[in-house]
Amino acid sequence: MNKLSTRQTILIYLALGVVLIVFLMPIYLIASSSLKPSPIMFQKPPAFLFAPTFEHYQDLFAMRPFGKFILNSLIVALGSTAFSLTIGSLAAYAISRIRHKRMNDVAFWILSMRMFPPIAVVVPYYIIFKTAGLLDTPLALIIVYSTANIPLTVWLMKGFFDEVPIALEEAAAVDGYGLLETFLRVTLPLAAPGLAVSAVFCFIFSWNEFLFALMLTGSEAQTATVAVMSFWSSDAVQWGRIMAGSFIILIPGVIFVLTCQRWLVRGLTMGSVK
Amino acid sequence: MSAITLHNVVKKYGAVQVVHGVDLDIAEGEFVVLLGPSGCGKTTTLRMVAGLEDVSGGTLSIGGQVVNDVAPKDRGVAMVFQNYALYPHMSVRQNMEFALRPMKLGKAEMDRRIAQTAGILGLDALLERRPAQLSGGQRQRVAMGRAMVRTPKVFLFDEPLSNLDAKLRTQVRWEIGKLHQRLGTTVLYVTHDQVEAMTLADKIVIMRDGHVEQVGTPEEVYAAPKSTFVATFIGSPSMNMIETRATGGRLVADGLSIPVPTRFGDRVKDGQEVTLGIRPIEIQRVAENAPGAMAARVEVTEYLGNEALLDLRVGSHDLMAEVPADQRAAPGETVHVRLNETALHLFDTRSGRSLAQ
Amino acid sequence: MAYIRKRNRRIFLIFLLPAILVLFLTTIYPMIYAGYLSFRSYDLAKLFVPRVFVGWANYREILSSSEFLHSLVVTFKLMAMTLSVQLVLGVGIALLVVQKLPGMPLARTLLMIPMMISPVIVGLVWLFLYFPELGYLNYFLSLAGIDAIPWISSTNWALWAIAIADIWQWTPFVMMGTAAALQSLSPEPYEAAMIDGNSRWDVFTRVTLPQLKPVLVSLMFLRAIDAFKIYDIIFVLTKGGPGDSTEVLSMFIYRQSFTFWRMGVGAAASFVSLVIIVVLITLFFKSLNRDQTA
Repeated sequence: MNKLSTRQTILIYLALGVVLIVFLMPIYLIASSSLKPSPIMFQKPPAFLFAPTFEHYQDLFAMRPFGKFILNSLIVALGSTAFSLTIGSLAAYAISRIRHKRMNDVAFWILSMRMFPPIAVVVPYYIIFKTAGLLDTPLALIIVYSTANIPLTVWLMKGFFDEVPIALEEAAAVDGYGLLETFLRVTLPLAAPGLAVSAVFCFIFSWNEFLFALMLTGSEAQTATVAVMSFWSSDAVQWGRIMAGSFIILIPGVIFVLTCQRWLVRGLTMGSVK
Repeated sequence: MSAITLHNVVKKYGAVQVVHGVDLDIAEGEFVVLLGPSGCGKTTTLRMVAGLEDVSGGTLSIGGQVVNDVAPKDRGVAMVFQNYALYPHMSVRQNMEFALRPMKLGKAEMDRRIAQTAGILGLDALLERRPAQLSGGQRQRVAMGRAMVRTPKVFLFDEPLSNLDAKLRTQVRWEIGKLHQRLGTTVLYVTHDQVEAMTLADKIVIMRDGHVEQVGTPEEVYAAPKSTFVATFIGSPSMNMIETRATGGRLVADGLSIPVPTRFGDRVKDGQEVTLGIRPIEIQRVAENAPGAMAARVEVTEYLGNEALLDLRVGSHDLMAEVPADQRAAPGETVHVRLNETALHLFDTRSGRSLAQ
Repeated sequence: MAYIRKRNRRIFLIFLLPAILVLFLTTIYPMIYAGYLSFRSYDLAKLFVPRVFVGWANYREILSSSEFLHSLVVTFKLMAMTLSVQLVLGVGIALLVVQKLPGMPLARTLLMIPMMISPVIVGLVWLFLYFPELGYLNYFLSLAGIDAIPWISSTNWALWAIAIADIWQWTPFVMMGTAAALQSLSPEPYEAAMIDGNSRWDVFTRVTLPQLKPVLVSLMFLRAIDAFKIYDIIFVLTKGGPGDSTEVLSMFIYRQSFTFWRMGVGAAASFVSLVIIVVLITLFFKSLNRDQTA
């Protein structure tokens, strides 16, 4: 690209500064408000320097079993991640290795499963899980989230498997290994970064999900996102607790962005942009 | 007993047949090279022997046992791949261990074999490195080491030198030859490089379009090519080919008339279209009045040090001659040459087959 | 020459089977079930009315109801609003952050954070900003001399309030995809254009944009499919109101099914939304295939 003059460089940094303030301000607000004493929550101009308080966090865990809801979120997210990775990477391996024109259709069919509007299947899920006695259990959410996580895993892992040279598997075959052993000892270790990325995406999606968690759980299997929302529906809006809960919920996503941002493009576009 | 036997082996992909009924017999300890241009079916044939491709027809035996439906792992073969196929997530030692593990030998025996192989190949100092930390030549040797530790009945090589630079290629070629002399294992080796084939092989199998054109020792395929394809494929610079017609005991073409050498007897019929082949080194400069001398115009001269290549024009034909450097001529000059009659190859133009006995 | 022997092909199909089976049971089966419900009267509010087959009645009802058609209009209006702003802003920011200047990689990383935040949290923090009387957004605007805007309490502004939250969360997506594409472009055409003396704008419109087009089309389709499904942010900010000014298709289905307990009608609306999304997905896949063959 062309060389920039000093003036242009300054303009670029100015514009970037505005962009960063706009996009990071809400996150700053969540963090700071969660630590602000309630009386100055909406003080104008906003207080940048204040004595932080942990009362909202204490309330959060004292008033309602928020710890349990976080545990529910963890169980559901980890369960769905493990299930989706197992099933998804096997399928991805098959799709990557079978050279057949119908395989493309299969891959697109799997991808399209992720794109359907969740609201359209909420009613059937509700009735099915009610009939099966699975309403308000983590298992229901694990199953439901896997419908989104399996296609994601298949598409991400297919890309990673495609990059493992087939000659390596042939070498293992000649050396005396069967297909499953070759997959586990040669192919999968080489696609390990893909596995990690898929796992994180599955986890974050499940952790963040709200609609199904709202519809399919009650007091037992409720997840953190639904719990945070419930501080709003009561007559007085408990902003302190909402912000404290929100901050806890956004931590995994932020850590993910900061540690593996180079995989984000690939994950969010399902491998269509590398 | 033969180590590998192919009987009428066929490979089809759907309706497309890429290997047409190959017959081949490889003796114990023999070094056999499959040679041919890309797409001739040589690699597919090798991969069928390895078990990486299904055999569509015919029988394939290794060590006297039919292995058409035997999985690669149970064939007792080891293979060196074109891109080496080293496991990038394993060290050199682990690569070899991984190849040994299915044999269930026990730790001590595995270590002994790895140490021995590393010693032979000079890999001792590299055992703990990853493939990414090795040079091309080193990777090549690791690939061979990984095949060697298994002490297989048969070694398969798939163009093992094609990724090395010219200098390294010569060296590794020499090492492979030495290794074979030392181990005495049967080798099936695929290449498109005739120099590799000529220097390494006990027996060369020349393939073209999925057919075997000729099987023979390097001397045989060079001195007695059975077809125009083999004649032009083997030897560098390649053999000159001139299309002639047999007329009254002579082979006649524009600007050229040569008596049919008597050793071809009555196999050359009057009026037959005959392709005459002559290697560049068999075209000699002679005096104008020497018997059999032909006038030729020098088009291009390439000086190579010891010798020179002359692009000659005889009538409407282009001939390449390889002469001692001090006999070279300047472009535009007219020189006189003679074709060494004892080195003439005659082929039936229509079938491309040799007319020699 | 893939290493696929006949025997292996069978094993590969076994690998593929669980995923297909699970997806069939968890996605296709519920969809079929939704189709089945859509032809029944499944009204949980009227306990003693038998759940009977009603033919196309549910479909006739929604297709002739102005509420349903209105929700479709709102859905596509919101889609148009968010997509157009995300495209322009996203490409603009991408052009900033691909400059080879110190700090840019960090800026790219930080800008990706909104995408990884739960949509409910996004809704909540924007609610905090929009909150009548108290919210900070109007305070910031007042510093710039702009009068207070009734973000979520006015039928004129509520859809924009939702759009802004979505734009905030997903502009980084367009930015990220565009930046990745920009960085993979070959520098040669730019050097040629520089030597030829073309203006920056010329270079951008004639050299850069045409090369970006396939990526932008993909990104926009992915956004459109997501925008069609938008739910959480609206649920938090307006629940479809005020009035029905922000009642998108998802909210319509939600209200029919879980406020009025008319599951049959909700299922019929769901099925219509499935048809629309299938069209969108098909167009998307077609555009992908065209890129690959072009």
